[in-house]
Amino acid sequence: MQKTFDIPRELMTEEELLQPGMLSCQGCGASLAMKLALKGLGKRTVVVIPACCWTIINGVYPYSALQVPIIHVPFETAAISASGVRAGLDARGEKDVVVMAWAGDGGTFDIGIQSLSGAAERNDDILYVCYDNEAYMNTGIQRSSATPVGAWTTTTPAGSIKEEPKKDIEEIMLAHHIPYMATTSVAYPDDMYMKFKKVRHITGTKFIHLLSPCPPGWRIDPSKSVQITRMATQAKVFPLYEVRRWRFSKKRGRLEENWKYTINIYPDRELPVKEYMKAQGRFQQMTEDMVNDVQERVDRKWDELIRKADGRPLTPNE
Amino acid sequence: MKQVIKGNFAVSHGVKLCRVKVISAYPITPQTTIVEELSEMCASGELDAKFIKVESEHSAMAGVIGSSTAGVRSFTATSSQGLLLMHEVLHWAAGARLPIVLANVNRAVGPGWNIWADQTDSLSQRDTGLIQVYCESNQEVLDSVIMAYKLAEKVSLPVMLTYDAFFLSHTSEIVDIPEIEQVDEFLPPYNPEFRIDINNPRSFGGMIGPDYYFEERYIMHKDALKALEYYQQVCKEFEEIFGREYDICEEYRTGDAEVIVVAAGTITSVSRIAVDKFREEGKKVGLMKLRMFRPVPVERWRKVLGNVAKVVVMDRNLTAGLGGVFASEIQAALYPIENKPMVYPVIAGLGGRDVTPDDIEGIINYALSNDKPTDVPLFWGLKE
Amino acid sequence: MAMKKRSEMAKEYDFTSWRDFTPMNISLGTMLHNMTGSWRFIKPIYEDKVPACQNACPAGNDIEGWIKLVQKGEYDKAYWHLKQEQPFPAILGRICFKFCETSCNRAVLDDYVSINELERFVGDQVDLSTPHPDLPEYNGKNLAVVGSGPAGMSVAYYGRLLGFRVTMFEALPEMGGILRVGIPAYRLPREVVAAEFAGLKNMGIELLPKTGVGKDITLNELRNNYDYMFLATGVHASMKLNLEGEDQSHRIMSGLGMLKKVALGEEVDLGDRVAVIGGGNTAIDAARTAIRLGADATVVYRRSETEMPAHSEEIEKAREEGVRFRFLAAPEKIELNDDGTIRKLVCCEMELGPPDESGRKRPVKKDGVLFDIKTDSIVTAIGEIPLFDYLNKIIKTENRVIEVNECLEVDAKADGKAKIFAGGDIIDMPHTVVHAVASGKKAAIAMDCDRKGVEFAGVLKKIAIGDGPAISFSQYMGWSPINPVRQNNSMVVDSEKIVYDYFVKEPQVEKKIQDANSRKGSFEPYSDTFSEKDALQEASRCMHCGRCTECDNCLIFCPDISVLVKGKGHFGYAFDYDYCKGCGICFTECPRNAITMIDEETPIEIDN
Ligand SMILES: Cc1cc2nc3c(=O)[nH]c(=O)nc-3n(C[C@H](O)[C@H](O)[C@H](O)COP(=O)(O)OP(=O)(O)OC[C@H]3O[C@@H](n4cnc5c(N)ncnc54)[C@H](O)[C@@H]3O)c2cc1C
Ligand SMILES: Cc1ncc(C[n+]2csc(CCOP(=O)(O)OP(=O)(O)O)c2C)c(N)n1
Ligand code: SF4
Ligand SMILES: [Mg+2]
Repeated sequence: MQKTFDIPRELMTEEELLQPGMLSCQGCGASLAMKLALKGLGKRTVVVIPACCWTIINGVYPYSALQVPIIHVPFETAAISASGVRAGLDARGEKDVVVMAWAGDGGTFDIGIQSLSGAAERNDDILYVCYDNEAYMNTGIQRSSATPVGAWTTTTPAGSIKEEPKKDIEEIMLAHHIPYMATTSVAYPDDMYMKFKKVRHITGTKFIHLLSPCPPGWRIDPSKSVQITRMATQAKVFPLYEVRRWRFSKKRGRLEENWKYTINIYPDRELPVKEYMKAQGRFQQMTEDMVNDVQERVDRKWDELIRKADGRPLTPNE
Repeated sequence: MKQVIKGNFAVSHGVKLCRVKVISAYPITPQTTIVEELSEMCASGELDAKFIKVESEHSAMAGVIGSSTAGVRSFTATSSQGLLLMHEVLHWAAGARLPIVLANVNRAVGPGWNIWADQTDSLSQRDTGLIQVYCESNQEVLDSVIMAYKLAEKVSLPVMLTYDAFFLSHTSEIVDIPEIEQVDEFLPPYNPEFRIDINNPRSFGGMIGPDYYFEERYIMHKDALKALEYYQQVCKEFEEIFGREYDICEEYRTGDAEVIVVAAGTITSVSRIAVDKFREEGKKVGLMKLRMFRPVPVERWRKVLGNVAKVVVMDRNLTAGLGGVFASEIQAALYPIENKPMVYPVIAGLGGRDVTPDDIEGIINYALSNDKPTDVPLFWGLKE
Repeated sequence: MAMKKRSEMAKEYDFTSWRDFTPMNISLGTMLHNMTGSWRFIKPIYEDKVPACQNACPAGNDIEGWIKLVQKGEYDKAYWHLKQEQPFPAILGRICFKFCETSCNRAVLDDYVSINELERFVGDQVDLSTPHPDLPEYNGKNLAVVGSGPAGMSVAYYGRLLGFRVTMFEALPEMGGILRVGIPAYRLPREVVAAEFAGLKNMGIELLPKTGVGKDITLNELRNNYDYMFLATGVHASMKLNLEGEDQSHRIMSGLGMLKKVALGEEVDLGDRVAVIGGGNTAIDAARTAIRLGADATVVYRRSETEMPAHSEEIEKAREEGVRFRFLAAPEKIELNDDGTIRKLVCCEMELGPPDESGRKRPVKKDGVLFDIKTDSIVTAIGEIPLFDYLNKIIKTENRVIEVNECLEVDAKADGKAKIFAGGDIIDMPHTVVHAVASGKKAAIAMDCDRKGVEFAGVLKKIAIGDGPAISFSQYMGWSPINPVRQNNSMVVDSEKIVYDYFVKEPQVEKKIQDANSRKGSFEPYSDTFSEKDALQEASRCMHCGRCTECDNCLIFCPDISVLVKGKGHFGYAFDYDYCKGCGICFTECPRNAITMIDEETPIEIDN
């Protein structure tokens, strides 16, 4: 029978690298994301986790839901810890093992951005995944610099609405000249699968920005978490695309720098941003003007993205 | 092979001899030349290690936490502000029970900027769980690096060895550099029982609740205490191979001493000169050199100091509102003794101010001529 | 199903002394001991529901079920599966009014699935005369079926499957009722009908053509010789225009009468121009037949096109073939020549007033505006009515229908052995073939219940499909559905419940219909059955509403790894309730609503 997603059945039924009993909330995108990521990465993966919901999700001493090696590290050290593990494994000759830093948006956009920038600039051979639930969820829903305009959090309560747009982490990362940057989302498992499979074969710093729904933080029903995340892409709030830095030049017989943007999902339904926001409790305090502003920004950024994906050689700064 | 080298190079050579696999460090005066030399060694292939040129000390330590968890010998070095920035990760390294070795060049902390010798930086990290070893000479620095790995890997705790800015870091001394074969004999390859292993996947350092955290910390405490005993063993083994003698703390002419000066780092050297002078005059003055400060060798301190009348403690550090760290801890250690000696806490040489044999002489005389301290602590050399 | 429970593999550690601890904070095992199922207050279950198309089919055709088999290329299986609820796919696949297609959920996305064409495809894959492979022993009761139209055919088919010994009485020389003598051959080839009857015969059903009840045999005779009777004599008399001279010309005839003659190979004399009065299917068929006989045909209808009861597709085809339409016109007077030929048909212009009981706008005369229609013959097709003479007043009729109860049983006056049931056009029911078939199915089940002494009302509740009135024969028989999961007949999956995000637009496969010119000269069928390629292509458009297809969405999306694949030889998935937190993502993301969330406390038997 026809399958919805292009993910091999054997993969879904083989021994799970993530076992149930996890401490994630009902409908948590973060646990789903890990499950899918590991489908693409496979067994030879080490996971590095800074402070974030995932520190809880994985379970308490002496247990671990993850059945790949996992090292817990301080909040701001995901990237460098991964670099350290990488160096250690390299020294042991285990070069094929993927070292994946798996951090929240707080650990990525905010407190961990320094060490991330360091690792990316050094082009350490790690995979850095930011599972972005758009706030500090572990500590009870505080704003981060990934929190979108207008979203309610405990530190952006009614009367102190967040007016600053979300940090443009993709462009920040691309400005580091890393070989691979992609966005993906739990609502598109085959896109996730494809990307996580792909990064296994890319050397250097790979950055994946992954939209991960959080029912309590977004004030949505757990059953809707995937659906609403899909709406984020349909409304182009969170476009799914990837950027490769290198291209093999036949003429020169070597890699040459060539920024290639590929949009992976072209939404087939026009979905206004308003619909996406309406579906979530956290956006209920937004005024119509604010929503319109967001729509404008979203449209503009989408246009930019289309232009970049047009095939013209672009520098990340254009 | 004897060579004239600076303290920092003694560290680099020690690291090389220990066949460290991963180095992750960030430059800061006066540690910089360690990094430079190691980086050259890595570049030339003289040392087969990965040098992660991190963007901060916080990352420097976090990086070796990663590599050490992966099961390879790892090293970092820093000083002062850098060490303070590491604070969070120092706790982590210890809690994770990782045998990382950290060389800290004791330097004053700001503000204002002061790059000279001062032990406040390392002493303010005394609760992190790192083993602390204070060194007095470049030879001791090099030897301590080698012994540090042996100890760290035995008790699964990180070791910080420290030595004074410039007085050692940038001062050349003759150092006997051991042959690597000898070091190999002394220090077998690192092969931990638990490390990141694809075929035996585990979680490291995960959440732990009130029901178990307590015991985990107790175990760490027990193991830290074991380090005292182990270190003595390590020193003995070291002596057997290399012929140089070390201990958790060292005594100099303390046998019949009535006054003992307690010092760490290069103040020990000047104190030794002063002690000799007093002995020449027939005065019963001795010296106890602090080496291991964490874990605290309480029993040894009591043994050495318990029967003397007066103990002068030299602190090149300051805990504002209390005084010197060494003095307060020594006083605490001696507290249960019935006829405890009178302790004379002295703060001297902060921020790299010179402490000369004359200074020590003056301080000892002050102790000799006062039944009890006039100032607690005494700020020696304060411009009144 | 042998699947080791994961919770049994859980290992728990209880350290009572610090000496038991690991030397450092490392893990020793999984979190499997932490049975997060206890967090749940609602739980998902797999459940087959009723797709909107099946719900809309008066016969409750399990469309999704057999389309799934078509997709796999298992046409034989598809055929027999289809016949469980609708025994005559080759017939209905050609002439059904396709209630299913109008409610196909796919229409929201792009266009409905051509279910009817697929049904025809399935019907044409198997030799229709093949008897049912699974015939039971006779149950000792006999059943007389009066009338061989679709209602009679259906009751005979199901009756035989239930073990009745069936005899079918038909007044006409040909079996099939309207299928044979009403619906023209270009829409439903004679051979198809004949082959279906061969099939019935091969099942052991006795067929007695030229045996009119009330003429060749009396109703009472049947009553005394049979345990059960089913009346399905249809509506074969035509309503009159009630105009002077109506009965005085051989050029004035009823539509059904004319079609019957053509069907039975008799001559009809129409002249060059025909005016067909009426707006139903009979009118259209008569007009299109007239065209094929070489005449010019004009349909005269007193309302406008929108009110026409004829199937719009048929109207369209008629128009293509050259049938003209004169709307808002009602015959007022017929003027005849002396030789009985028609001089003219005088009509009255009509206009539409407020709606009548049928909901359509009532035609009213535009005061006195008359006009003439030049025609050589007049065919009246303003409605058919039953002929109940044969009932001998034993059976109560009212408003031209036989009254029946919920079981389709007739309230017969005098005594007699047989219990009498009725169906098809003679009871109060829409006049379509599929309704007739549905009535036959229902009556057969009712008779079987009666035979077994089981209360029918209770059974009905269990086997009703969706909103009803369709009922499921396979469920009555206890035949398991294709996917052995919980069956929920009461829940209909309409478009609201479909997650269209998961379906990609795919145009309908084009139907191959001959152009109007080539088809109007012939009584041969003008459209082809789907090729296998087309059938597979069109079948692939089915969204399988309410039925699991093993699309893996639940498996993929479960954040708690609590969906297990049942494994080799078993269809579908099972929830691991030890860990399922009841988040409901599987339910929301199931493209086709094959999962239901139920209250944690609801006691259910789940075949998981
Ligand atoms: C011209 C025309 C076209 C139609 N087109 C369609 C269509 O395309 N699609 C659709 O779904 N429906 C169509 N219909 C309606 C559909 O044909 C009927 O609703 C359906 O045939 C009714 O089936 P039935 O079994 O009740 O009766 P019928 O099909 O009318 O069969 C009744 C049979 O009983 C026989 N009979 C009558 N009295 C006696 C007696 N006393 N003894 C023995 N036998 C007797 C008759 O000769 C006849 O053969 C059409 C109807 C007409 C008239
Ligand atoms: C240095 C430091 N500061 C603060 C914290 C407290 N803290 C733990 S997790 C967290 C928020 C994590 O947010 P994010 O990275 O977005 O992950 P999420 O919990 O949302 O998954 C904070 C503030 C910490 N552990 N360490
Ligand atoms: S708070 Fe949000 S991100 Fe954290 S476990 Fe719960 S659902 Fe997941
Ligand atoms: Mg977050």
